[in-house]
Amino acid sequence: MNSLRPFLLGITATFFVPWLCLIVIPHNKMKAEPVEWTDAETGKLFTYPAGKPNIFRQGQIVYAQEGCANCHTQMIRPTYMGFESWRPDFGKEGTTDLPIRIRETRSGDYDGEQFAYLGIQRIGPDLSNVGYRHDEKWHHDHLYNPQSKRGFSMMPSYRHLYTKRKIQGQRSEQALSNAESDDNIDNEYEVVPTERAKALVGYLMTLKKDDPFSGNSEEVSENNEGDSKAK
Amino acid sequence: MPQDKEAQEDIQRRAAIDGSARFPVLFFITSASAWLAVAVILGFVQQMKLYSPAFLDSPSLFFLNYGRSYPAFMGALIYGWAIQAGIGVGIWLMARLCRAEIKNPITLIVAGHFWNIGVLIGVLGILTGNGTSIEWLAFPKAVWPILFGAFSLIVVWLITLFHRRQDREIYISVWYILGACFWFPWIFITANLFIHIFPGSAVAKAATNAWFIGSMIYLVFAPIGIATAYYLIPKILGRPIHSSQLGFYGFWGLAVFGGWTGIQKFMGGPLPAWMPAVSGAAVIFMLIPVLIVTVNQLLTLKGNQAGVYSSPALRFTIAGISFFIIYCVFAALSSFLWVGKFTQISFTSSGTQILAILGFFSMTMYGAIYFIVPRLTGTEWPSLKKINSHFIISIYSMGILLIMHYFGGVWQSSAYGKFDAPMENAISAAKPYAIGASVAWAFIVFSTLGFLYNLVSILLRSGRREIASKLVGHQESSG
Repeated sequence: MNSLRPFLLGITATFFVPWLCLIVIPHNKMKAEPVEWTDAETGKLFTYPAGKPNIFRQGQIVYAQEGCANCHTQMIRPTYMGFESWRPDFGKEGTTDLPIRIRETRSGDYDGEQFAYLGIQRIGPDLSNVGYRHDEKWHHDHLYNPQSKRGFSMMPSYRHLYTKRKIQGQRSEQALSNAESDDNIDNEYEVVPTERAKALVGYLMTLKKDDPFSGNSEEVSENNEGDSKAK
Repeated sequence: MPQDKEAQEDIQRRAAIDGSARFPVLFFITSASAWLAVAVILGFVQQMKLYSPAFLDSPSLFFLNYGRSYPAFMGALIYGWAIQAGIGVGIWLMARLCRAEIKNPITLIVAGHFWNIGVLIGVLGILTGNGTSIEWLAFPKAVWPILFGAFSLIVVWLITLFHRRQDREIYISVWYILGACFWFPWIFITANLFIHIFPGSAVAKAATNAWFIGSMIYLVFAPIGIATAYYLIPKILGRPIHSSQLGFYGFWGLAVFGGWTGIQKFMGGPLPAWMPAVSGAAVIFMLIPVLIVTVNQLLTLKGNQAGVYSSPALRFTIAGISFFIIYCVFAALSSFLWVGKFTQISFTSSGTQILAILGFFSMTMYGAIYFIVPRLTGTEWPSLKKINSHFIISIYSMGILLIMHYFGGVWQSSAYGKFDAPMENAISAAKPYAIGASVAWAFIVFSTLGFLYNLVSILLRSGRREIASKLVGHQESSG
């Protein structure tokens, strides 16, 4: 082939088709439309995606800027890809003795987010439902000194998201409890979160990707029906 | 004699082309090499940080935390080193194969400066906490228009060079380079517009990101690497490529399947199942053009194996193509559910990306640089020993890195899959492999510094002055 025109036509055609199918069409079709449905058992009306302000946008920016997504996923895969949905430390409840399965994540769970940080590598635990697992104070203590909460953790300290200041009047309720030992902080000083730390923790607290949805309810009902038939 | 006169004219024409290419090509190669130094140092730091957060941990060095050093390393490696080296080598190959002297090099230099400014802002932006954490697109959002503008300028310049070609025959390497020049702007602007600018589903944006990585490897790095191999192997051996027809089929195989790849990374993820399935199938089908390229190169090499030992440039190129085959086989294996569930979001996925860039692409670029720079400077490489040690250490360190990332990732994923085991087991499962990988990174830093020393030495003309490089080992054929 010694002419540029057929060459350009060929590479345009071969690239245009996947570009259209994998990028353009999904971007237009994958917009989550809220669907209302009624739970057959309770008669309660639900909407999925719930449309609640499920995302703390400023916090997600800090999450991205600090590179949390390089170690943490936000994607629970179905059981044919692994049994992570049974992990108590990925879900919201349960123990290793009595595991309770969390459902796999769905497209609507990321509704309202600027970008779905599904994951690059899974060095630390999945954060899809981290909002259930700990309170804000735990997160701040953990971000400041991860090893104080989990000795085996390989997470770095995010001390730069906290500031040391002189105590004026009463000690702040937001002051970290694990800062004294390693920062030579005497009784006159305290370590408190900056606005960025608060935004990040606020974002982590909103991560609860388990809204009930219509298909899930039917699946559960079918399973229950199957169980009763078996009985 | 007429033949001697023709040969003499040919040599003079090549010398004139090399003379005209000297400044822009050396600009891109030296800039790329400087970024390579930054990238491998960041690569070592991020690897150490991965299992030892106490490494370089002080209040003033918080910007080296893994979450920032890893994307900064990848940014410096991909945009600083790999693409710039590809541009430098691509310009030289195009000039040689089109038999056209380089005119108006200032356009290239201006574009190159803008590209470097963009990468600098990008890497510093990530380290100062302004990154996006989007894989391979982690630079601050303001950077991509600079990179896109700079690359577009280079593409326009290359097309004008192509139109000025003196040789009416279009070699297969030219198709590959033109293909990469066509695909990169399309892929790059698509990813940035759909992720950063256009509204849309967050999950579709994540899928676009995965597609971007797959397309970059198969439609940007692979074509430039293969073009380099298609030029260097026959050139150094002094014989034509075995079959230009096979080269043609290989190119179109890459073009047909390349744009579908990448989304297999999210198998089982929250997006329509057909998307990762189609991507996975494309990655498996990609083995066909890879097999064609491999067979073509092997048949060209047949009976000339001695050339591989005598020419460092050829050795690096063959090693690069071998790593490409390994990468494609691993990627195809990982597209099956029973393998992919262990490899998709673990050490393995980052390891295979590093294999594609540092193993395949970088090795072919090293081969091209070892071949091109003596011709541009008129000086021989000062130390053959350093080139040999660069080669051996690169091969061994990539081998170690590959084993550590692949087995470490599978081990790590298996540990996470044991739902009744404590978190500590899953986190510590990969630690020995991360330590092993850091040893490989120490070797990579060492060998890269040796390469840079050699490059700086030749640029300062501290080597022996000779017209032709002994390292090439053979008389150049035309083209």
